[in-house]
Amino acid sequence: MQLTYAHTFLLPREIVWELIQNEDVLKHSIPGCKSFTQLEDGSYDVEMGLSVGPVKGVFTGHVQMTDHQEPSYYCLKVKGKGAPGEVDAVAHMHLDEAENGVTLNCRMEVVVTGVLASVGQRVMGGVAKLVLGQFFKSADTEMRKLTSQV
Amino acid sequence: MASLIGSAVKRKEDPRLLTGNGCFTDDMKLPGMVYASFLRSPHAHAKIARLVVDKASQLPGVIAVFTGQDLADKMTSVPAMWFLPGCDLKPKDRPALAVDKVRYAGEAIAVVVAKDRYIAQDALDLIEVDYEVLPAVVQQEKAMQEGSSLLHDDVPNNLALLWKAGDIPDQVFEEAEVVVKERLYNQRVIPNPMETRGAVAQYNPGGGELTLWCTSQNPHIHRLIYANVLGIPETKLRIIAPDVGGGFGAKIATYTEEAVVACIAREVKKPVKWIEERKEHFMATSHGRDEVLEVELAGTKDGKITALRVTNTANLGAYLSTFGAGCPTIDFGLMVTGAYAIPQAAVVTYGVYTNTTPTDAYRGAGKPEATYQIERAIDLFASKIRMDPVEVRRINFVPKESFPFGNAMGVTYDSGNYQLTLDKALELFDYQAFRNEQEEQRKKGKYLGVGFSTYVELCGFGPSAVAGAIGFQGGVWENSTVRVHPRGTVSVFTGTSPHGQGTATTFAQIVAEKLGIPIEDVELVHGDTQSVSMGWGTYGSRATAVGGAAVSIATDRVIEKARRIAAHELETTLDQVEFINGQFTVKGDLTRCRTFQEIAKSANYAWNLPEGVEPSLEGQSFFDPSNFVYPFGTHICVVEVDEHTGEIEIKRYVAVDDVGRVINPLLAEGQVHGGIAQGVGQALWEGAVYTDQGQLMSGTFMDYTMPKARFFPPIESAFTETLSPVNPLGAKGVGETGTTAAPPAVVNAVMDALQPFGIHNLDMPLTPEKVWRAIRSGRDNG
Amino acid sequence: MANQVEVSIKVNGVDSKAEIEPRMLLVHFLREELNLTGTHIGCDTSQCGACTVLLDGDPVKSCTVLAVQANGKSITTVEGLANQEELHPIQQSFWEKHGLQCGFCTPGVMIAAVGLLGENPDPSEEEIRDALEGVICRCTGYQFIVDAIKHAAQIMAGEEKVAMADSLKVEEVR
Repeated sequence: MQLTYAHTFLLPREIVWELIQNEDVLKHSIPGCKSFTQLEDGSYDVEMGLSVGPVKGVFTGHVQMTDHQEPSYYCLKVKGKGAPGEVDAVAHMHLDEAENGVTLNCRMEVVVTGVLASVGQRVMGGVAKLVLGQFFKSADTEMRKLTSQV
Repeated sequence: MASLIGSAVKRKEDPRLLTGNGCFTDDMKLPGMVYASFLRSPHAHAKIARLVVDKASQLPGVIAVFTGQDLADKMTSVPAMWFLPGCDLKPKDRPALAVDKVRYAGEAIAVVVAKDRYIAQDALDLIEVDYEVLPAVVQQEKAMQEGSSLLHDDVPNNLALLWKAGDIPDQVFEEAEVVVKERLYNQRVIPNPMETRGAVAQYNPGGGELTLWCTSQNPHIHRLIYANVLGIPETKLRIIAPDVGGGFGAKIATYTEEAVVACIAREVKKPVKWIEERKEHFMATSHGRDEVLEVELAGTKDGKITALRVTNTANLGAYLSTFGAGCPTIDFGLMVTGAYAIPQAAVVTYGVYTNTTPTDAYRGAGKPEATYQIERAIDLFASKIRMDPVEVRRINFVPKESFPFGNAMGVTYDSGNYQLTLDKALELFDYQAFRNEQEEQRKKGKYLGVGFSTYVELCGFGPSAVAGAIGFQGGVWENSTVRVHPRGTVSVFTGTSPHGQGTATTFAQIVAEKLGIPIEDVELVHGDTQSVSMGWGTYGSRATAVGGAAVSIATDRVIEKARRIAAHELETTLDQVEFINGQFTVKGDLTRCRTFQEIAKSANYAWNLPEGVEPSLEGQSFFDPSNFVYPFGTHICVVEVDEHTGEIEIKRYVAVDDVGRVINPLLAEGQVHGGIAQGVGQALWEGAVYTDQGQLMSGTFMDYTMPKARFFPPIESAFTETLSPVNPLGAKGVGETGTTAAPPAVVNAVMDALQPFGIHNLDMPLTPEKVWRAIRSGRDNG
Repeated sequence: MANQVEVSIKVNGVDSKAEIEPRMLLVHFLREELNLTGTHIGCDTSQCGACTVLLDGDPVKSCTVLAVQANGKSITTVEGLANQEELHPIQQSFWEKHGLQCGFCTPGVMIAAVGLLGENPDPSEEEIRDALEGVICRCTGYQFIVDAIKHAAQIMAGEEKVAMADSLKVEEVR
């Protein structure tokens, strides 16, 4: 399944570039995030509670950021699994200059299995948009918090 | 007294079911019972790299967790039962629990036993599994291609079987006046009885006896297979099918879960219950059909069919299921010529393993597909030669004088009068009036269509010698014991184990009528391997034709013995005793008589029996029919297609079925209605949809369209009665008429409606979207 | 283990108290705690309606209601439809009109029908078919269910009753 999402931050691109990959921002922005731990290779272990329509569960996963082309692009790879099934996602994150800030265009390829696929797929698109929306909104708030402190 | 056979008797089983006093498997409760839940693979094809159950085992309330490895020395895999010879069959058993590799999404890999089902579910979440995902193959033609991912290392091209029957030189088709060629897809459907599968197992460590209550159409077949799987003698395994909430073929198959439940009950030494959830049912219980049918029909310009050849590429799923090898070959192939005298026919079937749920019999099993291709091909042929489809059918029908009729595939139709059902259906329908109205409506932009299906089925399996010849690992006879108690009430033991058919009523009708006693005095005993000597199952519309025949013969034997006792008591010779309406009388002297009840008492008390007659009054029969039976009929469907939305409305549905002797017209009509609902369901709404990765997308009732009440107009049903010479009742079988006849009747109707748009073929299910797209593009699918 | 809570529910006229897990579904409460196994479970997405019961007189799917939500309320299950001697007209009609085959969906379908007839004592064929939207029957093709509900409406209008012990009657061949 393909998903796209865009969010405009009213912050300079360099700041967004840094903060969108900041551990604290991510920890506070990922919906349902229970733990977010950096590993030695720079990738993260993550645990999050998620609810997709009638399917609910705790997912444990692995998040890796690669192919950095500062400050305009990086690739986010997410592998997660939980009782309802497994998620394998690759997100292409483009940071494009916008009026008064930067627009983060996210293009995502998602494969799901198990009940998540058989029961959840129908509502997956909508839910994923909701989750991404929550994420960017929280990230925006976190970033403002951090930048105003600076 | 009105004759019981042929009467609309209310069912004996109903008061229990209507008051909530039935006993389905999930209603079983045993002291100390614990619950099992299965962990299922989310992947269609993957290696199991790591499987750790420690956290689950440690959860309070969990009694045990088993993996495939844990069960390796406790039970075997579950084999199929139909090993068709001459087709290079490569049978692959269902593993008890998958060990190294999973081959379809939903395959079980571990089982938790806990003190209640909530804890069992919690524990499943704590099992850790790592998979190495492999490429999946889902569609059978792709799976056969060179280089496709292999499910089983030793099955090249995933080809499980290649079956060929008949041979027609290409020349026949090259030189034919008219040839019709079409690729039809008979899609995958999911049986979905309202009761899912389930099992309760109890082990007695003292004597080593295992009792397994489960949702079975054939408890004796389950015993035959599971005793071997569990490594115990048949004498130690008792299978009980309590009330069974529908089957439709899905409860014929022997699965792993039931055997695993029995196995772990033996391990934990407590009664264990497992009830399949609906979402499990969608993935873990056998599916039906999924056959690509390439049909080629040769004929003359004046409507005579001269030859037929069909290639069936069948999706068998990940493993060979119980009857999996038989449905797309024997059941399908022998019936491809339908109700028509087609001189030459040939069939090739490819059976292919894919990363999908195994397929097996589904209401009709092979015959609906056979009927679908021939009934669709006839309409395509009629359209090509511009002849009325009814006329083409008439021209090619097997004439009623020709029975018994040997078809081109080598089976002999027992009896038939195809023209009779067609005439009766046309009379009910008023064909000419419809064609006039269709013409009128088209002018107004309303698209009506009519579709015909003049089907014949192969039912009532069958001679056991034939079963042996086609590699079926069992017999197909039936037995009955009719036991008369001292006060004249009767217990009828039958190997026919019902799941909604009303067998306890129809069989009681046969016995009560023959013995001239009230139907209340007759009770059926079924579904328990301990009380019934043998039974080969309720499937293939064989209950009445085979099981009912055994009941009838066993009852005759009771009468035979009772007559000897009556002759003795009435001090006359055997040939002077008449038995009418439950009374034994001396010919010409109605004052000298004994009631059936008096003789029952005499036989059981045994105070004064004639020389050489043993005490008690019991008759037994083991009936092995000499041939299959061949029900037939004509279904007519009228639809209206909305040009703007693609929506299809069924305006009328007329069904005239000939199922031989009708024992109970009310129950027979109920079977017809139910079958039609499922058949129309396949034509218009139902279909299992997989992603390319083998994820089942139609995995709930939200996504898989089950027919609802408002989808149908009242069905107009009627019967003709052409008796079968194969059994003493003259009965044929009624359970599968609807699923066999309806799909082509509906699709033919829709194609007739879409004729102005230049559309000839659309694959089922004919969803509004599919129809709308076809109307927009003016093209067939594919 | 989750905390236990006490519920008190009037089921088929009898007050029933129990200590249960808060997450327990009403259908499990009826089947497991009260042994009222006439109410069945046919799916896990609230589509099939086999578990339909009356909650304060209204049909609800008891797989979608937590037992704690029914606390203090009144439930009627299939076991509560008939009294000791007589079948409810809906049961009588399902029997006469052959409105059931395997009988698994039947309790829920009958309860849904009772709900319909409570609101609309004289429904048309179409209204009956529409009212069955919440239930799935795989055996009957619905036609005899529809006939049975029509028949029940007639009986309820005429107050005709049939004793439960009424024997099987042989009707004339149609």
